[in-house]
Amino acid sequence: MNISDSERVRSVLERIGYVWTDNEEEANLLGILACSVRQKPIDKVYNKISQWNRWKNKRNLVTFISGCILPTDKERFLKLFDLIFSMSELSQLPAMIRDYGVVTPGALDSSVTAMPANENIFQLWDVKPNYQSDFEAYVPIQNGCDKFCTYCAVPYTRGREVSRPSQEIIDEVAHLAARGYKSITLLGQNVNSYGLDKKGEEITFPELLRAIGEAGNKLQQKFWLYFTSPHPSDMTREVIEVISQYDCLAKQIHLPLQSGDDRMLIKMKRSHDLQKYREIVQDIRQLIPQATLFTDIIVGFTSETEEAFQNTVEAFQEFKFNMAYIAKYSPRPGAASYRWEDDVTNDEKKGRYQRLTLVLKRHAYRYNQSLVNKEMEILVTGKDRKGQYLQGLTEGKIITRIESLDESLIGKIVPAKIISAADFSLTAQLA
Amino acid sequence: MMDFKIDTNFYTVSQVRHLTEHAFVVQVPRRNFKFTAGQHLVLGMKDDYHTREYSIYSGENEEVLEVLVKEVEEGYLSPRLKQVKEGDSLEIHGPFGHFGIEEKKRDTHKHVFIASGSGIAPFRSMVKTYPELDYQLIHGVRTIDEGYERENYSTDRYVLCTSRDDNGDFKGRVTAYLHEQEFDKNTQFYLCGNSQMIFDVLELLKNKGFGRDSVSAEVYF
Repeated sequence: MNISDSERVRSVLERIGYVWTDNEEEANLLGILACSVRQKPIDKVYNKISQWNRWKNKRNLVTFISGCILPTDKERFLKLFDLIFSMSELSQLPAMIRDYGVVTPGALDSSVTAMPANENIFQLWDVKPNYQSDFEAYVPIQNGCDKFCTYCAVPYTRGREVSRPSQEIIDEVAHLAARGYKSITLLGQNVNSYGLDKKGEEITFPELLRAIGEAGNKLQQKFWLYFTSPHPSDMTREVIEVISQYDCLAKQIHLPLQSGDDRMLIKMKRSHDLQKYREIVQDIRQLIPQATLFTDIIVGFTSETEEAFQNTVEAFQEFKFNMAYIAKYSPRPGAASYRWEDDVTNDEKKGRYQRLTLVLKRHAYRYNQSLVNKEMEILVTGKDRKGQYLQGLTEGKIITRIESLDESLIGKIVPAKIISAADFSLTAQLA
Repeated sequence: MMDFKIDTNFYTVSQVRHLTEHAFVVQVPRRNFKFTAGQHLVLGMKDDYHTREYSIYSGENEEVLEVLVKEVEEGYLSPRLKQVKEGDSLEIHGPFGHFGIEEKKRDTHKHVFIASGSGIAPFRSMVKTYPELDYQLIHGVRTIDEGYERENYSTDRYVLCTSRDDNGDFKGRVTAYLHEQEFDKNTQFYLCGNSQMIFDVLELLKNKGFGRDSVSAEVYF
């Protein structure tokens, strides 16, 4: 979500004359789009702004912060940053910069930030983004969240779910695909809740996917459309059926499970249980058997017992995820669970993280191994870290190293033969 | 003409009812606040960014909006809320959540509400909203004084389970009471309160043949 937001911020800044630099030390306007889902990124914000404020002694520098900011952090940021605004206030950023040092009344009054209003979010979507890549793009389809998972503060930072008008989304995706973008990702906190805030007035998520699929069929350009993240409680067989029917709808599903234990899921207020998740996975395996499955997991959530953790391990064995973003639980101010005892020790969380990663690796490797000697299409995204190979992603988002240095292939989908597999990656030769 | 916007999230307290030493009901005029019985709201004091979620205690059609607050020792907001008085300003956002009675099951099913402590709040809202509802409310507390405003419920529908005195309708925990009960197959269960009670009741209901489709839960802590 922050990549998409930052593309829009960049667009606004460039329109008023700012020029992008990759060199932080020469910039005279520096900003952060924060993420409050976990504590670590917020800690980094504090480190960064203290560094920037030291630089201010030597040169002219204006700093700003936006994105997901909890009220507690916002009060502190007001003293540290020159400008602070919500993303729905983005259109006012040029005026704020003109009045450098003067924050908006909304930013000054912390009492109105307890639950940000979202009605101006449409102004954000009106801003044409300056895409950071020529072949990968992110398209926001909704803002906010109505789920109120107990470990998460997003509903307090981004407000209620608001769906972006479907025609805008379809037009933006079609425009990107026509320009040759190969990987387009629909973004939202709960993408498959799309339209539910405007029942009867807006199309549903599967209908949106179908409309994009139809648009994709009419285009001559090949592209893969992803979405992240869906919520299991709103995931329907219809969504999976639609994905199975259109080539441009990528066969990769990111479906956050968070815990394999029903008690933990209740305590997290996830509004789905393991059986519901199991039924979705069964539908995926039946209708799009080639799909890769990614998930999000929290280990060490408050009162998670060893037995509860073992249920997550068993869920990993059952669902055979290709990738899991495993987070060690950290209480977030503003989330309901912040007031509950964080009673799993850090060492235990670390241990569970490592044990779960081992299970994940085993299944991911087995899947990757099954691809060896197969020809697959790879979206070439750049060079690998050492600059010795090209790097890309399969349609299922498995990282693939390609034995080539032909940079003209970057941004293209190319056929390649898989020659070896590792835990979370593949090696391929151009076909 | 100057462009300004009135913030509609601030409400003036119209009444505070102290039910016990640590539990009280805060009431504000409902104005245009629309909600479904079972939902919660987010409440904070004016000029303070700390907020908490509270289930709505009043009915959908009442002219007032109420929450039941249990003071948390060493808590931040609830001790401050305990001090509010008529005329004070509160910040309210919402409604939120999906806990509630499924409309299609409202008249076709029996409804069993199982609450611990202040977890009774959403059920009072449901009972106030649907006076004709075929329900039973099982309320688990420590002592009889925690049977908050039990005169709101007809005695044949309300069971107070007290674990630390003999003055309730049943001496013991809700799980002990439920263990002895038989329920019709078309019963829908709603659980609200602490997570351990919810886990125990879920297990018990499972053993009685009621799966997750028959149970909705709202965890408080």
